[in-house]
Amino acid sequence: MNKKDIAVLKEIVGEMNVKDNPADLYVYGSDSSVHESPAWIVVRPTDVPQIQALVRYANEKKIPIVPRGSGSGMSGQAVPVHGGISLDMKRMNKILEINLKDAYCQVEAGVIDDDLNRALKPYGVMYPVAPASSRVATIGGEIANNASGVRSVKYGAVRDSVLGMSVVLANGELIRLGCKTRVHASGYQLDRLMVGSEGTLGIIVDCILKFVPIPKYRCLGVANFKELEKAGEAIADIMSCGAQPSLLELMDNVAITAVNKTMNLGLPDVEAILMFEADGMVKEAVDYEIEKMIGICKDHGGENIRKSYDAKERTALFAGRKKLFPALSKYMELKSCTSLADDMAVPYSKMAETARKIHDIADKNHVIMTAYGHCGSGCMHTKILMDTTKKESWNNAKQAVSEIYEYVISIGGSTSAEHGIGLSKAHAFKKEKFDSLNVMMAIKNAMDPNNILNPGKLMSAPDDWLTATELRYGMG
Amino acid sequence: MEYKNLEKWHDILNKCIRCGYCFENCHIYKITGWETDTPRGKLTMLHGVLQNDIEPTDYLVEKIFECYNCKRCNSACSAKVDVTGLFQDAKMDFIEAGFDVEGTVSGTNPDICSRCKICISVCKHEARSYDEKNDCIVVDKAKCQSCGCCVAACPSGAAYSRIGFGLSQQELLEQLEQYLEGVS
Repeated sequence: MNKKDIAVLKEIVGEMNVKDNPADLYVYGSDSSVHESPAWIVVRPTDVPQIQALVRYANEKKIPIVPRGSGSGMSGQAVPVHGGISLDMKRMNKILEINLKDAYCQVEAGVIDDDLNRALKPYGVMYPVAPASSRVATIGGEIANNASGVRSVKYGAVRDSVLGMSVVLANGELIRLGCKTRVHASGYQLDRLMVGSEGTLGIIVDCILKFVPIPKYRCLGVANFKELEKAGEAIADIMSCGAQPSLLELMDNVAITAVNKTMNLGLPDVEAILMFEADGMVKEAVDYEIEKMIGICKDHGGENIRKSYDAKERTALFAGRKKLFPALSKYMELKSCTSLADDMAVPYSKMAETARKIHDIADKNHVIMTAYGHCGSGCMHTKILMDTTKKESWNNAKQAVSEIYEYVISIGGSTSAEHGIGLSKAHAFKKEKFDSLNVMMAIKNAMDPNNILNPGKLMSAPDDWLTATELRYGMG
Repeated sequence: MEYKNLEKWHDILNKCIRCGYCFENCHIYKITGWETDTPRGKLTMLHGVLQNDIEPTDYLVEKIFECYNCKRCNSACSAKVDVTGLFQDAKMDFIEAGFDVEGTVSGTNPDICSRCKICISVCKHEARSYDEKNDCIVVDKAKCQSCGCCVAACPSGAAYSRIGFGLSQQELLEQLEQYLEGVS
């Protein structure tokens, strides 16, 4: 990229919307993953014609262009591994329409999830996906990664809320995909293709989302289990008996110990805690669901079972899970919490076995791992705690990650349930999807022949995540 | 450059998981919209200078001194990093190294200052003192937390700090009108 290129970009979006100071490029070169690789320039468009002009120019000059929401991704999706333009979408943040009669809203890609829900709340409706990062994540980023969250067990992942979208293709053309209705039957479902494409097929500039009524009643239950396996059996039974939890979360003993050690919440020293919630507009229906789940927990040895409709009490009951992240960060003084092998999708019946396996693999490879997550939607989260200043720790983590993915794929699970592939999960993703990689590559080549859109990600990412980029942690 | 105060935060900088939960709590980021102005962005830059990945330039140091110390980032931090404490130590190192930036730090115009020293007594952070030799009020830029008490208390209008970061009051009004038009 030369001075002339920079001048053209400044002309398109205005000088005040371009940054090329090394400090800015460094900041925009990392996200919430372990990776870092600086952009060549940061550009902040404010409307669709600007994005079209930028992409057209980048395509002509074969300059990589990496769309970026808030950079809260955990797998390196927004890290410009081949440099190029970091396309900061956060100024595309208008809520274009809230249509109550047709039950959809249309928003620009840079709208923050929580901001959208604040705007919807007065109408008694919500965009239900609720990833943990909803306070910072943009809708465009959520779509590009097909995010999900604690309530996905009932309301689905992002793909289930997307009705349509507008996309700028690699040649600068603007196309509209999907529509404003709940169903559309004909032709290739290109809107679905964009969901989870991680910025490799087009730039999502706005989208049409469905919303659902905010439930009048919510009841949260908590059960303790002396044996992890029993909690796993309870999860499988809850999900197979026709119950409709709006939240079903597991915490293992490492997670419980971390919370107790750092937060003094007094959680019981058991192998697992299960948290389950039902919501709805009719209290009797919520009661029915929650009692059904309590019964299943009891059948599997669940103890000290509590439930509450009260918002304050629910917050207190959920505090252990809510505080888990900071607890893990403070768990051990010299250990840092890394996002690796952090969101596997696992069949319900294998939840407990997977949690046990994760601990065995962690012990074998001298790292500390915890297992928790939105087990109701089949998502098993982990974090690897290690001394990130030691090279040996990274080699151990690499081996542990590799073994975990091998196991997850062997039981019919999937590499990523909600955080996406980016750079750090590409090796496992390629193994899992070995027979469809050629099809994916053909689609990529057809839609982006010059490979300018977020190059080097998903199936094009390097096999060795450890050397794919510099690591953003300080090595001793 | 030597980072004798910042160095001890090396491990803490590794503990920042860069989740971005601090974004929504930072007034400066809300105005500029650039990630470089977020607490996370600043921690990333400080990590970069400690690692020798980037140079400590006036541009970078200015960013570190642009903070109103509201500490909302500290309470929002999911890894419980003492973000502003970390900035404080970085500021001390940058001053020691000879950087002289404005940031959001308060100052005093010596031409209209009456030397009443009220600003010294109202400063909760012990950032202000009287320099007898040069007959002027001096501000310790590392200690100043940009609270604005000195500006409010100064009877001569000599104490100042940046108000309405990045915007004049007129520009702020214009933006507000623009926003309200959009809402209606």
